[in-house]
Amino acid sequence: MGVGLELDKLELDKCVHCGFCLEVCPTYVITRSEVHSPRGRILAVRLGVKSEGLETCVFCRRCEAACPSGVEYGKAISSYRRADATKKLAHRILENPGLLYASLKVYSRSSSPIALRIKEFVKSYQPPLQYKDENAELLLFPGCLNSVVYRSTVEKATNYLRRFYKVEVYNGCCGLPHYAEGEKERALKIAEKLREAFKGKVVVSLSSNCTAHMREMGLDVFDFAEFVVKKNLPLPQREITVTVHDPCHASLVGLNKYTREMLKRMGAKIVEMEDPSFECGAGGTYFIFNPELSRRIAEEKGRKVKATGVENIISTNQACSLALSLHGKVFHVADLL
Amino acid sequence: MIEELRKIVGDKWVITGEERKLYSFDGFTAVSGEPSVVVLPGNEEEAVEVLRYLFSRKAKVVIRGSGTSLSGATVPLQGEVVVAMTRLNKVYSVEGYEIEVGPGIANAMVTKSAPKDLFYAPDPSSYVVSSIGGNVSHDSGGMRVVKYGPTFNSVLSLKVILTNGEVEEFTPSPFFNPTSIFVGSEGTLGAILRARLKLVPKPKARKTIVGVFQTVGDASRAVVGIFKAGVVPSALEMMDKTSVSIVERSRYKAGLPLAHVLLIELDEDLEESIARVVKVIRDNDGEFFEPEDDAPYWNARKGAFPAMGVVSRAYLTLDCNVPRAKLPLILSKVEEMSRNKGVTIANVFHAGDGNLHPLIPFDPDDKASLRKAIEVGSEITELAISLGGVPSGEHGIGLEKVKFLERYYNATDLEVMERIRKAFDPHGLLNPCKSFLKEKCQPKDEVFRWLWEWD
Ligand SMILES: Cc1cc2nc3c(=O)[nH]c(=O)nc-3n(C[C@H](O)[C@H](O)[C@H](O)COP(=O)(O)OP(=O)(O)OC[C@H]3O[C@@H](n4cnc5c(N)ncnc54)[C@H](O)[C@@H]3O)c2cc1C
Ligand code: SF4
Ligand code: SF4
Repeated sequence: MGVGLELDKLELDKCVHCGFCLEVCPTYVITRSEVHSPRGRILAVRLGVKSEGLETCVFCRRCEAACPSGVEYGKAISSYRRADATKKLAHRILENPGLLYASLKVYSRSSSPIALRIKEFVKSYQPPLQYKDENAELLLFPGCLNSVVYRSTVEKATNYLRRFYKVEVYNGCCGLPHYAEGEKERALKIAEKLREAFKGKVVVSLSSNCTAHMREMGLDVFDFAEFVVKKNLPLPQREITVTVHDPCHASLVGLNKYTREMLKRMGAKIVEMEDPSFECGAGGTYFIFNPELSRRIAEEKGRKVKATGVENIISTNQACSLALSLHGKVFHVADLL
Repeated sequence: MIEELRKIVGDKWVITGEERKLYSFDGFTAVSGEPSVVVLPGNEEEAVEVLRYLFSRKAKVVIRGSGTSLSGATVPLQGEVVVAMTRLNKVYSVEGYEIEVGPGIANAMVTKSAPKDLFYAPDPSSYVVSSIGGNVSHDSGGMRVVKYGPTFNSVLSLKVILTNGEVEEFTPSPFFNPTSIFVGSEGTLGAILRARLKLVPKPKARKTIVGVFQTVGDASRAVVGIFKAGVVPSALEMMDKTSVSIVERSRYKAGLPLAHVLLIELDEDLEESIARVVKVIRDNDGEFFEPEDDAPYWNARKGAFPAMGVVSRAYLTLDCNVPRAKLPLILSKVEEMSRNKGVTIANVFHAGDGNLHPLIPFDPDDKASLRKAIEVGSEITELAISLGGVPSGEHGIGLEKVKFLERYYNATDLEVMERIRKAFDPHGLLNPCKSFLKEKCQPKDEVFRWLWEWD
């Protein structure tokens, strides 16, 4: 066992088996089985038991926020997950939005189960926006999926920020899928690459979970709404009623309050849903590889959204937006500009 | 047998491989067992079919809820089949002041499913996860016991399946009430399939006062004083300095002062009650504050056991009860023991009903430290019994406290309990080795000897 793994095992040993994390875990909530619970996953690693549960974790890390004992689940468990060839391929594709665009085109003609599953969520896509002002001081980081699936959001945000800054759009992946799904080493390398690319620039990310992940990797990155709020940038008024989904990782680092603040400054009316950070069902590439569980998590989320009676859903994370589009009209805060 | 079970619940809800081990223990982590197989029925019909089948095969069974028992009541010690009831989490009806639920529903969901102006009073600190089936079977308490009583006071009727395969729906009755005997029966008499629970009106307002004391003696005298002053708080919890310092290092930190703290919740006659409580605090050399937002303080209290994980990978949670008036005495003795024996003991407990929870950390890789923790725990529990207390206030006997029964009950009591158990379960199929027993099981190793035998 390497030193890293040893440390991660010690981290998991901090679990006192109290179960406080069970009912916040989306896969436990729908299966109600220890196998698919944080406590069960931790025990499986501690006992060296091969368990399906390690594969079914959405990696939303809600369990961490609930844990009185302070187990850093995400960091520790990521060392014990392994990506198979298909997942690795998916990760390589995400690293390069241009390739992602090309792959989606190929998938659109395929009827393999994975392709069909992707098509269920991704209805349209465009090549990533290439934009660069001379002497750009601000890097806009759309996040891999945003680049091609929500290009209009990227355009809106770019046009808005251009009013105040010289902007360059940086199309790439933050490495969260790798980190979460068994390629931790590669995730760390991606973080290093980004550190180089971000040097001397202000970086604004359009994807809140990417923002959160990059921050946890020690990168200096603003979330879009956070930037707008902290810099006091002027905002238009919008008469709209929305309910807000809190992307899970962004919740952990406290980013979601800025999304709400930005909405308030725009005069939007917010109707809160129950448990806004409950998983959307997408979980990075989870929706592709665990369709059955993902579907049931999405249904549970749908119930919470429907209960608000509001049709407009705000989501500042691309993968969540795809999953949430099953339950209403989804907007990024930048779409309202 | 496994094939039959699969036919009833579907392949994926019968766990046979190594993953069984994920059901080998619960919130009591000092020991572990191993189930022969784990079954998770998806609804009441499946549960009935599974249990009927198992009983007909004379299979030994452990019924499990959310697995948070602190007395090890769900640990399968004899290769039992574990039947987990977690998927039976339906709300069947809400009518007037009553709610009928499946046993797998988490305690917190009961109030969430109730009309806005009502709530379900029993609130064990584990309320976010522990199930109603488990709460009923351990007669769980919580913060509000002091005013609303433990689970016992909130169970109106039950539907159960017995080991003869029959399903019984008890009707509430003032005499020979069969529901009551199931409360606290720790899965030894039958499996609970449904519970009809009592809801109570939410108070118009609640107020929290945090009392801050420099000595445990002052804090515990204040507890006694509050009742003497004629106030019945809706919750009255104590966190001693050690437990405060630990919680404040955890995610559940609330900004509590490093002192011995009383959390006092009042929910009626607010003005008058506050004045009286404040006077008692002052009379006992305490200070106080009234937080605007009290949620962080109560969360800190609720997370205080597992927050121990910040300082130790494992700990024992004792659960003895003493008459309130004896709190100052027993707490000072516990302090003394901690000092003399060089063992950390954190006290965080339901002071209002005299229900102590000394937490004793141990190193799970070091048997000697576990032995010491068990010994100190034993001594405290015996002391509580000698002061007129009981070995378990709410966490149950499970496998942890079986030896204390013979100190607390006399031979006739035990004989009667044994006969009751036999009447329900003549073949000894349900939760063997746990709870009240005339004859204890054979200890399988030294840890069980320390737990089950007197020196
Ligand atoms: C951090 C923490 C804090 C806690 N705080 C408190 C507290 O404040 N007050 C308190 O009283 N307890 C507390 N507990 C103890 C525990 O949560 C309670 O005993 C709870 O009621 C157990 O519920 P469970 O669903 O986890 O049951 P389990 O642990 O799964 O089972 C407990 C017992 O109930 C039986 N059982 C479960 N379901 C059924 C059923 N359907 N039919 C028949 N038998 C059944 C089992 O066989 C077993 O004997 C705490 C535990 C933890 C870990
Ligand atoms: S990360 Fe999310 S899915 Fe995984 S164990 Fe934690 S709460 Fe459950
Ligand atoms: S909340 Fe933390 S300590 Fe408790 S079971 Fe979950 S991971 Fe373990």
